[in-house]
Amino acid sequence: MLLSTLIVVLQEILEAALIISLLLVICRLRGASGRWVWPAAIAGAVGAALYASLIEEVSLLFDYTGQEITNAALQLGIYLCLAASALLMGCGTERRERLLRLTMTLAVSLAVVREGFEILLYQSGLMASPELVTPLLVGATLATGIGASIGALFYYGLLSVPAAPRRTLTLGLIALFGGNMLSQAALMLIQSDWLPGGAILWDSSALLPEDSLAGQLFYALVGYEATPSLTQAIAYFGGFTLLAGLAAAATRCGDNPFTQDHRP
Amino acid sequence: MKVPLLPRVAALAALIAAPLAIAAPPVVEIEIRDHLFFPSTVRVPARTKVKLVVINRDPTAEEFESYELNREKIIPGGATSVIFIGPLAPGEYPFFGEFFPKTAQGRVIAE
Repeated sequence: MLLSTLIVVLQEILEAALIISLLLVICRLRGASGRWVWPAAIAGAVGAALYASLIEEVSLLFDYTGQEITNAALQLGIYLCLAASALLMGCGTERRERLLRLTMTLAVSLAVVREGFEILLYQSGLMASPELVTPLLVGATLATGIGASIGALFYYGLLSVPAAPRRTLTLGLIALFGGNMLSQAALMLIQSDWLPGGAILWDSSALLPEDSLAGQLFYALVGYEATPSLTQAIAYFGGFTLLAGLAAAATRCGDNPFTQDHRP
Repeated sequence: MKVPLLPRVAALAALIAAPLAIAAPPVVEIEIRDHLFFPSTVRVPARTKVKLVVINRDPTAEEFESYELNREKIIPGGATSVIFIGPLAPGEYPFFGEFFPKTAQGRVIAE
């Protein structure tokens, strides 16, 4: 029980930890404060609790596919916040800085809602059995610790990359994350029969199984799917290209603070 | 000649509904009881979209998950839910309940 709790919770935490680390790296490189992450996480946790408590009602909507539609809306929301953030990253006026903080806060809040509600549902069901409470709490605590450590490792890892490739790398990773969000949103809409799936493009499950550790890590990092459908691939690459383009255009700006190293 | 309105509307509705009725995907039901899937083997037609209706009889939530089917959905305790799968190439597609992976296992066979 402890191990399966650890895996379930860690899977959910990894994605949120990743986007938080990426956005914090950007703040750090811009010399901006990253303190917004706390209210963002708290707002996300409240949202997740609300979503989890309404799950039965939500599930009934849209002919029993309300959960997919809600998740797709959350993922699309995260993508739009990242796109807005990319646009605002350019020349930093005071007003733009405030707006950027807002879009980053929203992106993290929505990510925490999306991942958090699954953890809460998982836990609420099992907490009813007294003998499961201890393994659950230990598993969840371990998973939170591991997830936070991977996030921190990622954060400091990126900061230790030399300044020139770091900018491209950080923006590239954000664009990949955005593509992943759109691809997951497309998958939700396929699952609820709102979008056609199209052909399965390839099957790499023998090469890198999705249920392997590497597969799971790649899933969290870049949205790896062993058998992606055409619609998902279009959403992924379209989302990636648009976001990378926006970020590249916005940061190609005269006195761009993003290219400078603000570390003391 | 004046045709009464009601039959005309009915005929029109039938015209619109007929292709929809034909296109409606086959429905397959799966129940979750005591963290097990019933039936644990589900046969579905290949190359056709199928509507899986998953009924969770347990008080606890379960997550229907399948890497092979590319599907993942939480079924709240005591709730009914719908997951569309396919069109699938003929073959076997395992699925499991992520919240109770040791017991809740099953497979879809497309043929």
